[in-house]
Amino acid sequence: MEKILDKKRIDDWIAALTDWEVLAPALQDGIWTYKPVSGAARLDHPNTRQSPKELTFPQREIFFSFEQIKGEPPKLTQILPKETRHVVFGVRSCDGKGVPRMDKVFTDHVEDTYYTTRRKNVAYVGLACNKPPSSTCFCLSVGGSPVSTDGLDVQMTDLGDRYFVKAITETGKALMKAAGSLLAEAAAADQKQVKQVHADAVAYPQRKINDPDGAPAKLKASFNSPLWDEMARACIGCGICTFLCPTCHCFDINDEVQSKAPLKGQRVRTWDNCQFPDFTMHSSGHNPRENTGARLRQRVNHKFQYFHENFGMHQCTGCGRCVSECPVGIDIVAVVNKVTENVG
Amino acid sequence: MSDNIYLPQLARVAFIKDEVVGERAIKTFRVEAADGGDLFEHECGQCAMLSIFGRGESMISIASSPLIKEYKQFSIMRVGRVSSAFHDLAVGDVIGIRGPYGNDFPIDDWRGKNLYFIGGGCGLAPIWPLITTAVAQRADFKNITVFYGGRTSRDIMYRAELEKLRESVDVHLSIDKAEEGWEGYCGFVPAAVMDKDPVPDNSVAITCGPPIMIKYVIENLNKLGFADEQIYTTIENKMKCGLGKCGRCNVGKDYVCVKGPVYSWAVLKNLPEEY
Repeated sequence: MEKILDKKRIDDWIAALTDWEVLAPALQDGIWTYKPVSGAARLDHPNTRQSPKELTFPQREIFFSFEQIKGEPPKLTQILPKETRHVVFGVRSCDGKGVPRMDKVFTDHVEDTYYTTRRKNVAYVGLACNKPPSSTCFCLSVGGSPVSTDGLDVQMTDLGDRYFVKAITETGKALMKAAGSLLAEAAAADQKQVKQVHADAVAYPQRKINDPDGAPAKLKASFNSPLWDEMARACIGCGICTFLCPTCHCFDINDEVQSKAPLKGQRVRTWDNCQFPDFTMHSSGHNPRENTGARLRQRVNHKFQYFHENFGMHQCTGCGRCVSECPVGIDIVAVVNKVTENVG
Repeated sequence: MSDNIYLPQLARVAFIKDEVVGERAIKTFRVEAADGGDLFEHECGQCAMLSIFGRGESMISIASSPLIKEYKQFSIMRVGRVSSAFHDLAVGDVIGIRGPYGNDFPIDDWRGKNLYFIGGGCGLAPIWPLITTAVAQRADFKNITVFYGGRTSRDIMYRAELEKLRESVDVHLSIDKAEEGWEGYCGFVPAAVMDKDPVPDNSVAITCGPPIMIKYVIENLNKLGFADEQIYTTIENKMKCGLGKCGRCNVGKDYVCVKGPVYSWAVLKNLPEEY
């Protein structure tokens, strides 16, 4: 299904999606953030500060509550996510590519009910990149593209005064059907223009990971490289690289207690971070990844070796957030290139 | 069981025993399903995530044989926040349990072989299900030998059970330094093993204990002619989910909670030393 939407009618389409809660990028205090749409939706964002990852994997979520009166067994009440349907507009291809990677983690081996409940209720309407990439973008190096449809339900492409709208999944078709007559048939000229816009987007020069296909084997061979410590020396362990990553999924589970007698509290999942020393520290004090070098290596190897060995794809979408937001300038592209440059 | 992988089953503490007291205190707990039903089934070497509500969860090796269905046993050293809370429990208290997690010892491949168990400190607990299962099926195995050492005689866990084990298998106890009245070996566990000259032919050695002990035990077994494939150990890493999702217990591409904790040395020695 390929259609044309007059740019001025985007709000009418959103208004027609009555079964869905619609989110779109909003510029708030200088930061692009996905917000529930109220009024006119803007789709002129380069990319949002955070990917839409939080819709399926919230920063903080309650698994269950517990309550215990002394001398009696505890009572557990599971708190499953609400079945609210969300549709996110304006998702860039790099963030779309994050979705199937998160799906792998949370459905491989056993299903994570909290993730899958949210996931089946979220649809992603992408917006292809049509401008030169930012200096930190590198989607082409990791099997992506500025116009990739991976993980998306619908892809929109900006054609100046109108959007080319293409359904990618059945959910996408349903979203487009809801638009009714707002969506017109795409003409041959529209098809031609989309092809050109996409070809131009892919042709813009980007920074490069020199040998992405060889990276898994080369990183494996470089586990004991002294470069890890050297390149991590500036790291302050803030963890912004993983908090902003569209594919980082590590989490912590803790009990939060509201009252001691009677005992009342909740078991809570929160985002965690491989850049923190506590992340792997045993209660004995022994820490298998005890310095910033070992922790940088974990982040890079997880994305470019371990995940690839397990699932046949890099766990990086080239969005560049970890590069642009690192306070000390640690750059995953430079790290991968440096560590792998002289390896067989 | 619920299909919510994070929701524990409730279990009642039916039995508590002080194994070791003092600074390195170890207590043994037996738990049974709080509703009178069954807990999950497990295999030798697997672990369970235990909860004390309000304190949190901790991954603990199951220390009872899979042949025992009525309860599951755990021997826990007082080290961190959750393990300390365990030491404050009383019989009748209710905890949470989910599992079983991880792989198991390939005991069926070892029938007809000699088994050497080499444990140190709290490291007897993870291999105890295997020892007691092998003893329960004694005719299936050739010689069974247990080496076990504690820092001092007061650090020896399962003391009475080990004495009873002598009826059907060889048991060699050791302590690090000589003490009055101690009749076993004095010295570190790796040396205690060398003292008895285990034979590698048709044998498997299973070791668990402090990392430094495991390292020298393996070195010594190699010297005695044990191939890497004949040596098994179990490792631990910090865990939160037990299901390969929370991201912290990996050694290379594998999460210990799923692909471990049991490894042959032939496999483990080729993995990054991140455990």
